[in-house]
Amino acid sequence: MDKKNIFLFLIILSISCLAGPLMLSASDEVSHGGDIIYDKPVKAVLFSHKVHAEDLGMGCDSCHDGIFQMASLTVQKEADFTMEGLSKGKYCGACHDGSMAFDSDSQCARCHIGVKGYDRAQGIKSGE
Amino acid sequence: MADESTSSKKSTIVGELARSINPTLMSDLYSNVIEFLSGTRSFYVLLVLGLLTVFGASVAGLDAIRMGYRHAYGVTREISWGLIISTYIFFVVTSTGLCIVSSIGHVFGVKNFMPIVNRAVFLSVVTIFAGFTVIFFDIENPFRMAIYNAISPNMTSNLWWMGTLYGAYMVFMAIEYVLLLLNNHKFATYAGLAGLISGIVAHSNLGAIFGMLHSRDYWYGPYMPIYFIASAVMSGCAAVLFFTWVGYKVNNEKMDKPMERALEAVSKLTILMISVLLFFTAWKVITGLVGAPGKQAAIMATLAGPYAVNFWVFEVMLGMVIPFVLILYTRFKNINVSFIASAMMVLGIFFMRYDLVIVGQIVPAYHELGINDVPALLPYMPSLHEIIITIGGLGIVASAFLIGERVFRGHKDSGVH
Amino acid sequence: MKINTENLKEDMNTVSKIERREFLKIGFLITGVFAGGTVLSLASNIRGAFASTGEFTEKYPYKPHYSMLIRQNLCVDCERCIEACTKTNEVPSYGYRTIILEKVVPDAIGQKREFIPVLCNQCNNPPCVRVCPTRASYKDKNNGIVMIERKKCIGCKACVLACPYNARYFNEEVHAIDKCDFCFDTRLSKGEKLTGCAAACPTGARKFGDISDPNDFVYQMIHQIEKQVWVMRPEAGTKPNVFYMKA
Repeated sequence: MDKKNIFLFLIILSISCLAGPLMLSASDEVSHGGDIIYDKPVKAVLFSHKVHAEDLGMGCDSCHDGIFQMASLTVQKEADFTMEGLSKGKYCGACHDGSMAFDSDSQCARCHIGVKGYDRAQGIKSGE
Repeated sequence: MADESTSSKKSTIVGELARSINPTLMSDLYSNVIEFLSGTRSFYVLLVLGLLTVFGASVAGLDAIRMGYRHAYGVTREISWGLIISTYIFFVVTSTGLCIVSSIGHVFGVKNFMPIVNRAVFLSVVTIFAGFTVIFFDIENPFRMAIYNAISPNMTSNLWWMGTLYGAYMVFMAIEYVLLLLNNHKFATYAGLAGLISGIVAHSNLGAIFGMLHSRDYWYGPYMPIYFIASAVMSGCAAVLFFTWVGYKVNNEKMDKPMERALEAVSKLTILMISVLLFFTAWKVITGLVGAPGKQAAIMATLAGPYAVNFWVFEVMLGMVIPFVLILYTRFKNINVSFIASAMMVLGIFFMRYDLVIVGQIVPAYHELGINDVPALLPYMPSLHEIIITIGGLGIVASAFLIGERVFRGHKDSGVH
Repeated sequence: MKINTENLKEDMNTVSKIERREFLKIGFLITGVFAGGTVLSLASNIRGAFASTGEFTEKYPYKPHYSMLIRQNLCVDCERCIEACTKTNEVPSYGYRTIILEKVVPDAIGQKREFIPVLCNQCNNPPCVRVCPTRASYKDKNNGIVMIERKKCIGCKACVLACPYNARYFNEEVHAIDKCDFCFDTRLSKGEKLTGCAAACPTGARKFGDISDPNDFVYQMIHQIEKQVWVMRPEAGTKPNVFYMKA
């Protein structure tokens, strides 16, 4: 194979890589970011885009980029990404305040999936 | 009992013992050795095979100690007692049964049972020894046991009573056998009675180890100690029928009339005990089907779950129903059929012990909470080490039995007095 | 920002009558499954939970009477307690002194998941102590903790079978049975006030205390008529010193 062909091949490859997701979003099959699993400050919390965007019909702009960055897990770096922060209306607490959605002070294990849930999501078999 | 004798009585004991050791004993012993060396080739093949399994088991046992039992055995945190414990129970149940059956003749004086006494007493010592040998490889710190069992006893522990009394039992039975050899039947009877009492108390305590675990529905209750005694008598009958028949084959001899009558009597007792055990088993199952969910789950595991083959084929059919039919059909008269029946029973009884130990542990502790990732029934599979040690225990009994048949000339010294 | 707030309201106050009836139905079907243990009736609540009054004080006169309260709904399975326990007590990888059970109830409304921490219940009536042939397992006369004198342990594992809570295992490193001792050896005897797990718990799901002291938090939490307090496997008659409730 000569150099020209390789060059051509790379171009086609990069176009298809870029076009694939674009076409998917155009056809509206996956319009959200799937499951986000936070592992800090504790393991672990599950945020389901499916529940919020599909089942509840919330738009992307409900949270992005006001409360959460588009890049996942960015918020984990914040010092106030804690239950205390949430109860002050930050992050998840913006909605989960007991009136708009269930209070972040209640139903802990509804979002917290624990080390067990984290390991399951990572495909790690639970140990002893 | 022998312990209550006064000092004057003690001197009589010594006197009688001295008289019973007559000068012919040494020449007897010498001819015994000659007798032993004159066995057939198949006898020696069997003996060598038996001794090889004992050797193999010793290697496996030492290897297990080196590796750590957790690695060598199939036992887990949840199922801590496995094949080796069930084998131990198999041996001590058989031993206690042999003691009880022999006591019918020797302690309680039922003439028909006299011919089987010597062999039964000898084998009761052998089987309890085999039991102690296998459990040595299951107790993590057996040497600490020797010390702290004595200096730090717990009187509320069934395990303590069981271990201590079985230790005494083995000594009593060994003394009884020596006295039988010396033809000192008066004191042999005392030793036999002491052995019988300590054996029965020890054995019911073994049942109570399980029966007093109030968090284990499958075991808990007065059933276990009672069941253990009843099933010991059944096991003892099966062992007598089995080993007496094989003993005569090994010695290539024909049974005389008293021995045939004795085996007929044992066959009758066998039928009685199988009936009792069938009754016990039926009601264990029926009562288990109502009540505590943990017990139901365990019972269902034996009826239609992973232990169904063990239960129906081995415990019920081979262990009880087929032998029952065979012995009853031949009206106790056909010694060969009784032997086949007893061989089936010995196999079936082995599975009874296995299921008794394992099924009591398969229901998880928090089963009623409906916890994730915990199976409804916990798995257990014996490891190679456990299996080899078990076979080695059987090898001890087989080898000692074969040697005993030759050295003690078919155990024929009793029944003539 | 536009949010359909109606869809997000899932507080039980706003659940419709039908949903509530469904919920009750599930509750009746699997009573105790939601609670994570067998719920005690009020009468047995007093007997079971008020473990430090009346005849209990006479029968089990421990001072301090160490106890743990598990506020089950606060547990999020972060497992910092297990990490702390493992580190503090040198628990080997094949064993554990405490563990967190996970239960998922798919047909529950709202929260479908529950975490239940379990550990040695330091029973007032401990089956493990009764079965030990050499008194290697014993109940401390002063504080009621079920302890092990390692050099006496023969490794028969009878206590492992006797325990209704699967709290014991054989530790090869020390060649004896190992179990939770409320960190007595590693912390309490050195002046610490909390067990390793309770100190590490970020949510307050594990509360360690002394139920011989009426001013103690655990004492006060479990001595309330209106609070549902339960213990694990009360039918075993072990009279545990680990209590469960929902905060």
